[in-house]
Amino acid sequence: MTLTIAVPSKGRLQENTHDYFARAGLEIVQGRGVRDYRGSIVGLDGVEVAFLSASEIVGQLAAGAVHIGVTGEDLVREHVADVDAKLVLLTPLGFGRANVVVAAPQSWIDVRNMADLEDVCAHYRARRGERMRVATKYVNLTRRFFDEHGVSDYRIVESLGATEGAPAAGSAELIVDITTTGATLTANALKIIEDGTILRSEANLVASRRADWSDGARGAARAILSRLAASELARRSREVRAVLPAGKAQAVALAAAKFGASPEVSGDGMAVFLCPRARAAELADFLLSQGALRVVAQNVEQVFETDNPLYNALASKVFAAG
Amino acid sequence: MVATSSAGREARRAAGERAYRYIADAGFSRVEPAILQPTAPFLDMSGEDIRGRLFLTAGPEGEELCLRPDYTIPVCLLHLARGGAAREARYAYLGPVFRARAGAEGELIQTGLESFGRRDIEAADAEILGLALEAAEAAGAGPLKVRIGDARVFDGVISALGLPEYWRRRVRRGVARGQPLEKILDRGGLTPFSKAGVLLALERADHDGARALVQDLLSIAGISTVGGRSPSEIADRFLEQAASRGDAGLGTEQMQALERFLAITGHPDAAALELRALAKDAGLEIGRALGSFEERTGFLAARGLAVDEFSYSAGFVRDLDYYTGFVFEAVSTDPKAAKPILGGGRYDGLARKLGANQETPAVGAAIWLDRLTAEGSV
Repeated sequence: MTLTIAVPSKGRLQENTHDYFARAGLEIVQGRGVRDYRGSIVGLDGVEVAFLSASEIVGQLAAGAVHIGVTGEDLVREHVADVDAKLVLLTPLGFGRANVVVAAPQSWIDVRNMADLEDVCAHYRARRGERMRVATKYVNLTRRFFDEHGVSDYRIVESLGATEGAPAAGSAELIVDITTTGATLTANALKIIEDGTILRSEANLVASRRADWSDGARGAARAILSRLAASELARRSREVRAVLPAGKAQAVALAAAKFGASPEVSGDGMAVFLCPRARAAELADFLLSQGALRVVAQNVEQVFETDNPLYNALASKVFAAG
Repeated sequence: MVATSSAGREARRAAGERAYRYIADAGFSRVEPAILQPTAPFLDMSGEDIRGRLFLTAGPEGEELCLRPDYTIPVCLLHLARGGAAREARYAYLGPVFRARAGAEGELIQTGLESFGRRDIEAADAEILGLALEAAEAAGAGPLKVRIGDARVFDGVISALGLPEYWRRRVRRGVARGQPLEKILDRGGLTPFSKAGVLLALERADHDGARALVQDLLSIAGISTVGGRSPSEIADRFLEQAASRGDAGLGTEQMQALERFLAITGHPDAAALELRALAKDAGLEIGRALGSFEERTGFLAARGLAVDEFSYSAGFVRDLDYYTGFVFEAVSTDPKAAKPILGGGRYDGLARKLGANQETPAVGAAIWLDRLTAEGSV
């Protein structure tokens, strides 16, 4: 049996996804033509790649038609009822970042937070006998968020594009939409409500609990997740090596504890650390202070470990429950 | 989705037929609104909260449609489509309604009755509750506990305390959801404009002055006004914030009166005495609402209903604006029963909200046949 992975078929999300897999040595190839919606991963048998839109991927995952997919958390939270029963978000991928926010006209200088908004919605309805209209494509996220903040005097106007233009066009009073920099909102004379960030979303690696996880599918998933985890760990780490003077064994243990670096010491006194990237320079300084004459820090490509957090998440949340 | 045996459904249908026939024999004529309804009236009346419980679909031109989640709004729309809103009419219905519920069947059978246009509202209230209880019995319901409330008394108390309309709705919504009063009245989250010097200045300003100031502020900041609220509305809210600083503006005595009111429960006659005492002590002018309440209790007793066993709760209100008076529900006395077998009330505000040009007296009740079979907890 094959494992099916769904990846976005267009735009920046597609490029980033291909890069993400390529960094792990997993080259995604499309079938015969660019219009072919099925593909494979070079050198891996039993894996099929499906090219779909990000929102189709959510639907296919929820239905169990694909095993693993790359898609935005915003779409997952919006389109899937009871997410935990159907899907497992294995890991955020660091791209496709966008916030789902509540935005109101800048001219509402009396409105800063959701409590103000609730108050204004209540006034608006009392005065006009109509509910304030919220344009959005995130109907479910909006409904849940507004309910949490006690806002009930509003109506949703579904918007399928250019939501930020709705207030100026007069088809809604405020909006819920995604934004990355906020520039589009500002250009439309809108501002983000202070505590109105509904979700900080990014692309995620998502597994379906409902897919048919045959032994073959599990094996293929292990192979892929092992490489993705290896490249992810490598990306976050640097290898730091130094020769410490004799009798400085304690310095190695100290460095490990201080900088979260896992050490290995070879017979000739060479200590090799795998260190979180951000702390590599500090570690080097520390090793110099302990008597090392030279410290070499370098990037690594892949770090495979017995303990694979991605596969563990899949095994514990999908297989164990299945 | 939970499958239901067709035998169970047929049993409920048969029970529904018996209840329906009882209602029809009392002079209510059959009405059968479309199953597929425009979504807007339900969302306009109930708010977006109901969206998650609707089965939604779209028409060929993209119009939002849903399977009817209840009969009241569709029946009222039919009533309005057939003639003048205020004319007298009595409708009975029997059929499926649709509610999306995780892990439960979405199609439920309801029977019920709606009465429009009667000016003798207390007698009409009593007739509807009486008929609903008798119809439920005809369908095979066991002993029922009846709970009653009164939105007119509730709204009357809130208004008499001097709270503006949006506060009345806020309190009603909070109470209907079972929130504690402190939480409902807490407006701590509001941006504290009262600390802004400009508001202190505005406290003594009039509306025109405030509007001019808001317009100046916007133009100085280079902000264009976009849709929705006008500078005048923004100015009004500023002024109101300045006056009341955003809280309900309730003094200690009023707060105590509200707490005392919400704590009133029990026998309808005893409750009426307590309500009168409260009105006197707190100086609340709710005499007409209380008169109506007492008159209704008299009609209920005259109809032979076991009023002594009814339980009134001051805080029993629905989170729906169009309910304007009597509300009631009946739950099986079986301790396992959770949800009411029947419920209803007076909704004089609905016809107008649906487009009629005048308030239209209306009262109705629905029986949930799916909760009737077995021990009342199906």
